[in-house]
Amino acid sequence: MRKIIYILLSLLIFSACTIETVSDARQETIQPQIYPDYLGVTIPANIAPLCFNMANEDVLCIDAVITDSHGNNLHSQGEESVNFDLDDWHTLLGQNLGDSICVTVSAKYADGWHTYRPFSIYISPDSIDYGLCYRLIAPGYEVWSKMGIYERDLSSFDEHALIENTQFEGCVNCHSFNRGNPTDMSLHIRGPHGATLLRKGDGSFTAYNTKTNQTLGFCVYPYWHPSGRYVAYSTNATNQLFHSTDHNRIEVFDTASDLQVYDVDKNELLLSPLLKQDTVYETFPVFSADGRSLYFCAARALPEGSHQLDSIRYNLYRIDFDPETGNFGDHIETIINAEAHHQSVSFPRPSYDGRFLCYTLSDYGQFSIWHHEADLYLLNLSTGESYPMTGANSEDTESFHNWSTNSRWLVFSSRRDDGLYTRPYFCHVDDNGGISKAFMLPQRNPHRFYYERLLSFNVPDFIIGPTHFDGRKACQIINDEYRKDFGVRKKSTSN
Amino acid sequence: MKNIRTICTFLFGVMVLLFFGLVYPHHLHYQEQYQLFLFDSTYVWEIIKQPGGIADLLGRFSTQFFLFAWVGALIIAILLSTVQILTLQLDSSWTSQAAKSSEGWLYGLSFVPSCLLWLYLLDENALLSGVWAVLITLFAAWGIAKLVRGRTRYILLIIAIPILYWIVGPVCIPFPIDSLWTGIHYYRYPTVFPVLLWAASLSVFILTLTIHICHRRINTSSSDIVTFCSFALAATCMGYLVWRCSNFKAEKVMQYDFMACHQQWNRIIETINKEKPNNQIGVTVQNLALAMHGMLLDHMFEYNQNGIAGLLPDVKTDATSPLSTAEAFYQLGMINVAQRTVFEAQEAILDFQKSGRCYKRLAQTNLINGSYEVARKYLMALQKTLFYRKWANETLVLLGNEKAIANHPEYGRLRQMAYKEDFYFSDHVTPEMLESLYFSNTDNGMAYQYLIAYYLLTGDREGLNHFNSKK
Repeated sequence: MRKIIYILLSLLIFSACTIETVSDARQETIQPQIYPDYLGVTIPANIAPLCFNMANEDVLCIDAVITDSHGNNLHSQGEESVNFDLDDWHTLLGQNLGDSICVTVSAKYADGWHTYRPFSIYISPDSIDYGLCYRLIAPGYEVWSKMGIYERDLSSFDEHALIENTQFEGCVNCHSFNRGNPTDMSLHIRGPHGATLLRKGDGSFTAYNTKTNQTLGFCVYPYWHPSGRYVAYSTNATNQLFHSTDHNRIEVFDTASDLQVYDVDKNELLLSPLLKQDTVYETFPVFSADGRSLYFCAARALPEGSHQLDSIRYNLYRIDFDPETGNFGDHIETIINAEAHHQSVSFPRPSYDGRFLCYTLSDYGQFSIWHHEADLYLLNLSTGESYPMTGANSEDTESFHNWSTNSRWLVFSSRRDDGLYTRPYFCHVDDNGGISKAFMLPQRNPHRFYYERLLSFNVPDFIIGPTHFDGRKACQIINDEYRKDFGVRKKSTSN
Repeated sequence: MKNIRTICTFLFGVMVLLFFGLVYPHHLHYQEQYQLFLFDSTYVWEIIKQPGGIADLLGRFSTQFFLFAWVGALIIAILLSTVQILTLQLDSSWTSQAAKSSEGWLYGLSFVPSCLLWLYLLDENALLSGVWAVLITLFAAWGIAKLVRGRTRYILLIIAIPILYWIVGPVCIPFPIDSLWTGIHYYRYPTVFPVLLWAASLSVFILTLTIHICHRRINTSSSDIVTFCSFALAATCMGYLVWRCSNFKAEKVMQYDFMACHQQWNRIIETINKEKPNNQIGVTVQNLALAMHGMLLDHMFEYNQNGIAGLLPDVKTDATSPLSTAEAFYQLGMINVAQRTVFEAQEAILDFQKSGRCYKRLAQTNLINGSYEVARKYLMALQKTLFYRKWANETLVLLGNEKAIANHPEYGRLRQMAYKEDFYFSDHVTPEMLESLYFSNTDNGMAYQYLIAYYLLTGDREGLNHFNSKK
């Protein structure tokens, strides 16, 4: 009896391990429809394996063979998805830098195997940063359930939480690093234990009260100065309204907003009357690559009581900033007059090499993640030319984005998958500003993963190494009552 | 009479069954609607990797059957009866063989842990995982006692405790240390210390000790009459305590919510005719049922009213109160308002669980709005459940099938009733919203009734006249 059980078990294990031979396959003239769409994408050599599923759910088995021009190949087969070996994948990609690999996909249906026309994946010689940091949260309205900030190693599938709201009462948002370097980090905590956690130069975190009597409220939308000495913030009086029937569900808008820069070394906010005008909504401040300019979005304020939200349109502006003194320039320069074209700019992000500035363009407002029409645009800072990032854009929302530290890769939020749940995508930006077709953050079984994870990936940002974030210690700081108050520089010298 | 103890346990089980089946059924429905048990390896792993995970998994698995109150009542009855039997066995196994704890006056004490668990389950935020945790602990202790004797028994017990801790959580080491107990999924509020559950687990230890001490000092009678009297005394005390601690007001509110969820409009009318509701959810459901029957304007003042708060109350940030209001929004054709309300309610579930009821409604609102890929995600999750699978399969085929949706009695009607023009809304429903809904489709009798009711309840004669002049 025992022998029979052993034989049966062995057969079971053997059958589970067996790779089916693709035989008598019908040759299709079309390329396969796979999920995610990785056809013709450009990827860095250090990205995790691009495992995929067939978009058609009737598939019984999927088989993929990757070949390169050197005669190497990689094979994977699975019932739901193909899952390439991590080491073999990286070896193959490392051997094909600047070249392409060819993927031949076969799928087994009820009527047998079908082999599709092969497609290529291009391996860029430009590497991508170590990892990605994002917030996972349900794309809701005002209430939140379980959420947190997570870190993902881009060369593998490893993900872990930095901090989750199961550890304290409240929510976390606006994680920010200085050019992907997690030793300079800013993180907001909202709720009864509200604070901004700041650490500079790998020190420990300090919990700040960023609200002062000279500013509108708590500081939001942080952006680090390249020197690490300053952090630009906006203060926003934010509201939400909901659409009764529009394709866009929610309208998030400001009824007032200002800008300020925080001097980490001196613990003082630097204010300028040019950046806190009552008749203007200023938001999304970012430093230029050389740290001598502050880009930001601004719109004419609505008259009090008005709900003409579709008339709020933000332009892109620039003001000089002197990192030595912390003084602002005396005039504001218009960089993109989107209002003139009945459009609105949000989330400006200059590349760290100073070549480009990526921004989101929507019909109106500044919270573009809830705008299905929102797309990414690239501004060439040398020529002033601005154009849509066609390879990255889709028919649905493209919104928040960040550059890799070598300024060759862009990570951005997109809702193209289903129109609601935000997923991170990557695209390559070449010397001339050419944009490659975007690819979705790889997962072992992408269909299963993205269908089961009913959470949005918010504010994706690159990190150059593990954050070494001590969640337990951070929670102690959060739960402690102590908050260091932001000071304000007594008199702005130039303005 | 040899089977006196079996009879007593059976009678106890019947008491529990009748209580939860007849008196407290909507508490069981309430529990079911704030979880979504998935037959999915990722879901299971996420639960069992936590301390107390196995008990939690069993609790969640059992709770899905609470959709049918009598099945839920039977499950609880079996669990509590088993706890009593194991307590009895444990008392005998861990005390001297001479102990006659299973008979006589001390017999009634074997019902104490079960009684405490019963009291614990009266709270709508108490989760069944706690009962499973006590049961598994008792079973393990009984198993150890049966397997080995002497010093080995205690060694085995020490080895078993950390394993048990991982399986059932701190119930197996009932020290009232706050940090041990909070965060374990015994109670919907993660930070609350479940006193009654702790008392139930502690009582097992105390009872074993008490019987061990008492059987030497008290010459207990082992006659059946004494044993039965002991049970009768325990049952009387239990009945009294359970009755005193039951929240019948909450049960009534949950009943209205359940009836609205299952669109039992006739039953609602019958219920309000027997006893007029005097709570916000009850009044909201009452008005919805009246409107569904086209009776709102003629009969609303025959019942208690609560102004606008009884018609379409402002949406609050909790998991319970918005759901019946969301039902009214949905039936009116205010699909986006209903969607937002249900989404927020689900996000407000205190232990971060998802809800079968909410997923179902979110799939429906997305389907009506034409957001088929989002609806598909909810439906695919529901396909992994036991009781929503059939509905999910039936609904999945509708996605993208415009003709089938248009002909669907519910979705087709609601698409026709929905807003045609876009505007902004927030937490507060205004007469303008209802007016816009009515003028989007003047066949929307629900919108008409609600709008007029709004004017009548607020005494806004000017608004009513203005509306009539526009009609």
